[in-house]
Amino acid sequence: MQPILKINLSTRETSEYRIPDEWERDYLGGASLAARLLYASLTSELDPFSPAAPLLFLVGPLTGTVGPAVGRFVVCGKSPATGLWAESNCGGFWGPELRFAGYDGLWITGKAEKPVYLWVMDGRLEVREGAHLWGLDTYEIQTKIKEELGQHSARVAGIGPAGERGVLFANIMCDHGRAAGRTGLGAVMGAKNLKAIAVEGNGKPPLVDAAAFNVLRSQVNQALKTDTMSHFYHEVGTSGAADYLEYLGSLPKRYYRQGVFKNVDKISGSTMAETILTGTSACHACVIACGRVVRLEDGAKRKGPEYETIAGFGSNLLNDDLPSIVRLGELCDRYGMDVISASNTIGLAYTLFEKGLLTEKDTGGLALNWGDAGVAEQLIHMTARGEGLGEILAWGSRRFGRHFNAEDEAVQVNGLEVAYHDPRAFSGMALVYATSPRGACHNKSDYFTVDMGQADAELGLEFYERHSGAEKAANVARHQDWTGVLDALVMCRFANVPPERIAALINTACGFNFTMNDLLLHGERAWNLKRAINNRMGLTRANDKLPKALMEPFPDGGAAGYVPPIEEMLTAYYAIRGWDPETGRPTKEKLHALGLADVAHDLWKL
Amino acid sequence: MATIFPSPEWLEKLGEKLNADEQYARIAKKWEGDMACVVEPGGPLKEKLIYYLDLWHGKCRRTAILKDLTEVKPAFILKASYENFARVIKGELDPMQAMMTRKLQVQGSMAYMMRNVPTVLDFVRCCRDVTSEILS
Repeated sequence: MQPILKINLSTRETSEYRIPDEWERDYLGGASLAARLLYASLTSELDPFSPAAPLLFLVGPLTGTVGPAVGRFVVCGKSPATGLWAESNCGGFWGPELRFAGYDGLWITGKAEKPVYLWVMDGRLEVREGAHLWGLDTYEIQTKIKEELGQHSARVAGIGPAGERGVLFANIMCDHGRAAGRTGLGAVMGAKNLKAIAVEGNGKPPLVDAAAFNVLRSQVNQALKTDTMSHFYHEVGTSGAADYLEYLGSLPKRYYRQGVFKNVDKISGSTMAETILTGTSACHACVIACGRVVRLEDGAKRKGPEYETIAGFGSNLLNDDLPSIVRLGELCDRYGMDVISASNTIGLAYTLFEKGLLTEKDTGGLALNWGDAGVAEQLIHMTARGEGLGEILAWGSRRFGRHFNAEDEAVQVNGLEVAYHDPRAFSGMALVYATSPRGACHNKSDYFTVDMGQADAELGLEFYERHSGAEKAANVARHQDWTGVLDALVMCRFANVPPERIAALINTACGFNFTMNDLLLHGERAWNLKRAINNRMGLTRANDKLPKALMEPFPDGGAAGYVPPIEEMLTAYYAIRGWDPETGRPTKEKLHALGLADVAHDLWKL
Repeated sequence: MATIFPSPEWLEKLGEKLNADEQYARIAKKWEGDMACVVEPGGPLKEKLIYYLDLWHGKCRRTAILKDLTEVKPAFILKASYENFARVIKGELDPMQAMMTRKLQVQGSMAYMMRNVPTVLDFVRCCRDVTSEILS
């Protein structure tokens, strides 16, 4: 691997960090390697907004190659929203460009005296004055920085006003609407007075056997291009699944409290494709191009919404107006706010207003009525600007609920808002949300796809009925482990590449000889390491739970009458994971078996 | 009489089933689109087989066995190996699983398909219902 550039923004000191060979072998890169690198510094005492808090941008061993959907990077640290492990990965072109510039990561600590941005080009770093960028949105900074650098091919990742103000679900954005969305790392960046990082390079990512890799990646990309799932993502985007997910009862409505949304067709990716879609966009070297480009009445082309956005600002708020969803998503992107957490927290506000727990006195005269997208727009503005109720919305759903004495109404786990895949439709998601290392995340295992049918026998996955219970715990754990491998590679979930081909790509790129079992062990190691990090920061068995709303059955719809048997599932899951049922920690034996003896020592002297 | 997949009789029976099945008629009432199932050779199947079905508003207007797809341009083409088609029809492989794990290719409008997944799944149910034996 290439070195990681360490930067202390307080002292302006920099150094190059070489990753030990054994860590490259055992953690590969991306979020797994980040967990290993940050393990010692992520403590319960660490304030994520303090100068000491690390912010680590990392790529994977395939990033920047022309491999299948591997042009991603990940940002890791301690989440200000959850107080736990934070990771959030992002597509676009920034990650590959960092590698072209000669680095596999940027490890940032400290706090700049005044707003700055970083300029990394071909092995050189410049810390540049950034006060004039403060207040600009995430699209404006890209244009501005490229102009002043005179480098229009540079890539810029940065924060918007939400990150500057410490909104707990502020994200980091790059290119056109690509987001490291979850866990609030944009606010950590803002606390460091770091507005953006521009990168450009002319190098090539290192490949141990470039000839073999190139033959293989060409074959894999050819197959991927003709795959039905790629065809699906390209034609209708991620929101193309909305109709079917609604049929199965997975698409949340009225803040997870309604079973049926009859107008789903008005907001689905299929309708988008037939009405406002004008083109597609792709991340670096991706043959799928799932990104949407749409045109509204003003004639301007803009990013079209992904599934989470049409769910969050659509069915979640009972809003069936697709153009308004496009605008709300864009507003969040520009301010630099995660659309899932923003729309979820706004959904909670609507719910509390309906219940009378929030009044017009609290909202500044706004009536929060279901289906009213205009009010949602005002709430987004207020959140980003810290105005009125927006100041409380900026805390995210858990603290918003707590402020109004209704924390149990918030649909979140450990401070991260639940994504828009209801576990009452796919029971596997119950375990995923309850045990994800970053709170209620659908990307640390997108198990709903397995519950729909993407049960890959090459991974040893079985296909269980979507409402089966504890018997699928081992399957969920295995899928989480595999997802850990993808997160180490920082590889896109939408690339339907046979797992053994992914193993071959890793082996040719890195000179390893990993089997599928070796890779699954990598994933398991990373999963347990992140768990241990969280245990050290205070997470216990009691944290593994689902919010109240998800434990109430719907009277109708595709998930009618069902709630996941979460306690039985967790008991089975703990046994399979080798976790202590009392404390929720991985056992000493499990940690030793995974080569984490130092972690076992730390964890069990707690 | 046994209805063996694949055989002309099987296709004929499937057409009859689709026209008689009340559940299919209800679920597929909005479906408009012909379909070709392309079975790649393998196992006992020595040559490529193409079954054509013209499906319209919950009924099957026509079935045919085609030599190739030069004369008709079906709205949807489902393509898989003989083994995987047989596993789907036997109920050993879920059709969504087949599609999502690269065992079944679907060509045609994804926008239309995603609005009508239940129709496709019920079509597969009818295929299973008429099959009494799989050629091995």
